[in-house]
Amino acid sequence: MGELIAGANFSGRSVALRERLKAVAPNAFYIGPHAEAALSGLSSTVGDEIAIYQSPTARAPFAQLDFEAWASRKPPTLSGGEQVLLALYCFSCSPYRAIGIDTALEQLDPANREDTLSYLSREDIDAVLVDNQLDTLDGWHCSTLQGDSVAFACNLPAAIAALPRRTVPRIEVRQLSFAYPGGRTIFRDFDLTLDPGRVYRFSGSNGAGKTTLFKLLAGVLAPQSGTLALDGVPYAPWRTGNRIFALATQNPDHQWCGATLAEDLSRRRAAVRRFGELVMPDDGALAHVAAKLGVPSFEQHLYELPLVARKRLSWLWPLCGTMPWVMLDEPTIGQDAATRAALAKAVGQLATLGYGVVFITHDNAFAAAIDHTPIRLGA
Amino acid sequence: MTPNGAVFVCLGVIAGALIAGNTTSLAALLVIALVLAFGSRQRVTTALFWSALIVLPLAGFMSLVWVGIVGRAPHEIATGAEGSRAAAASYVALVCLRLFIIALAIQATFLHFAGWTPLRFVGGLRAPPTVKRLLTLTLSLIETMTQAVDRARTALITAGIITRGRSLRNLRNGWLLVQTVWLTAITIVIARTRDKWTIEDTLARLDTAVAGNLRFSTEDLAWIGVAAFGIALAIGMR
Repeated sequence: MGELIAGANFSGRSVALRERLKAVAPNAFYIGPHAEAALSGLSSTVGDEIAIYQSPTARAPFAQLDFEAWASRKPPTLSGGEQVLLALYCFSCSPYRAIGIDTALEQLDPANREDTLSYLSREDIDAVLVDNQLDTLDGWHCSTLQGDSVAFACNLPAAIAALPRRTVPRIEVRQLSFAYPGGRTIFRDFDLTLDPGRVYRFSGSNGAGKTTLFKLLAGVLAPQSGTLALDGVPYAPWRTGNRIFALATQNPDHQWCGATLAEDLSRRRAAVRRFGELVMPDDGALAHVAAKLGVPSFEQHLYELPLVARKRLSWLWPLCGTMPWVMLDEPTIGQDAATRAALAKAVGQLATLGYGVVFITHDNAFAAAIDHTPIRLGA
Repeated sequence: MTPNGAVFVCLGVIAGALIAGNTTSLAALLVIALVLAFGSRQRVTTALFWSALIVLPLAGFMSLVWVGIVGRAPHEIATGAEGSRAAAASYVALVCLRLFIIALAIQATFLHFAGWTPLRFVGGLRAPPTVKRLLTLTLSLIETMTQAVDRARTALITAGIITRGRSLRNLRNGWLLVQTVWLTAITIVIARTRDKWTIEDTLARLDTAVAGNLRFSTEDLAWIGVAAFGIALAIGMR
């Protein structure tokens, strides 16, 4: 029978999960909250990742995607959800009987998530699960941990209380086409208009191109063809740099520009200075927002924070009001119900103040709490 | 060629290059390295380019010091001879050619395994499991670094610190990219080793995954013969 460990953030769920697994180690497979703790890191291709775990005594494979056809692809080129599905496939090919999954299923689209939970309910699998979207699960043993949530307490309404109103440009994407080198086409002649003061949700199955679109809009990737315009003025962030979007990445560790919060923010300040129209709040104001997000010290070493606290701190940049548009990639991963509700409210407030917001989530309950326009990507 | 043969051939050419004491024997070894590269039936221009690029800074520095400033070769200094810039240039050419051959031999060997993954290559080696584990771990760091570069670039581009294309900003802030890449690489490795590897004993799974032991092929023996000829030539012409 599977076990679901429920509870609020910082109640000790992840520690409890790891303890359960270590008790049966090395006969347990582990999928951590992000890709670095989901895949082995020892392989350079999907095929090799499978080969590491493959065993003749394995059960029937859990293949939500055609991984055999993707054998030559590099694991980091898969989307977050696809990497979780690959890890699950590896588990199903392996001789491990037990599996522990720490919030990773929150990255899956509803269909894949449902199939995964059904698969993990098999009698020949001992699954231990931490998942913020579940309090109970039929047929599973559910335990709720009561912990002290005072550490890294997050007060989102107070964090954005001083945010000024903002005039924000309209974004127009026309005839955008993009394909990864040697890979499949993600967008072909894609059109999109994003109006200021509105909230948009990019949705679609795992691998539909949601994060890719974020990266294109922020200038991390360059399209093969197509144009971007801000209020009708051509804008090419892949050439001139990003001056529109404040991005909070799915994995918070993908966005730090320094080892400490002070270092990260000072480097951002130096970069923003180039753009006259952008005004970054002073250090005092930023420290106030950081404190409200649960990190009282400006000198805090980012990687010494727990993952959940890092994720909350990753909202500092979008919520400090420097950039006119806010991008949130799977903002609710790892966050408990109270924080998710507060974040949904904060997103609504941002739009009221005139900011534009784009977010990606597979958490339908979170999205339902926000007045937004859905944009579906992929087939 | 099998990975076992490749290791022997590569080490043989490197040993020959280190032993060779004059340009004639080094030229012979260069021919062997080139034959090895062309024998892979892959494009060798990239291998030649990178080998030259590796040697270039050393060539520049040594030319400046030995030819430009000192004006004599080391053996001339040792014997107290008056010496000449021509002898110094010959000495610099010898050292640089040696390094060029080593760089080319390594790349030429890998050209024979284009399309192979590190795991497959290690799986084909006849070596103790511990050595195979260490090799796999070492080679996996290449992917880790690639991943770290990608992550660090994403962070710095979205923050507006660098741009995707070429820019002055990139030149000015390049050191930030280097710093962020290292920090990222360390955190990636820690994230893996702290939980996943300890719970799963992932490294033990490698023993099965790289368990293959390919025998030496006829092609291996032919290439090893060529490398042995190179070593013999280097020793004979000293």
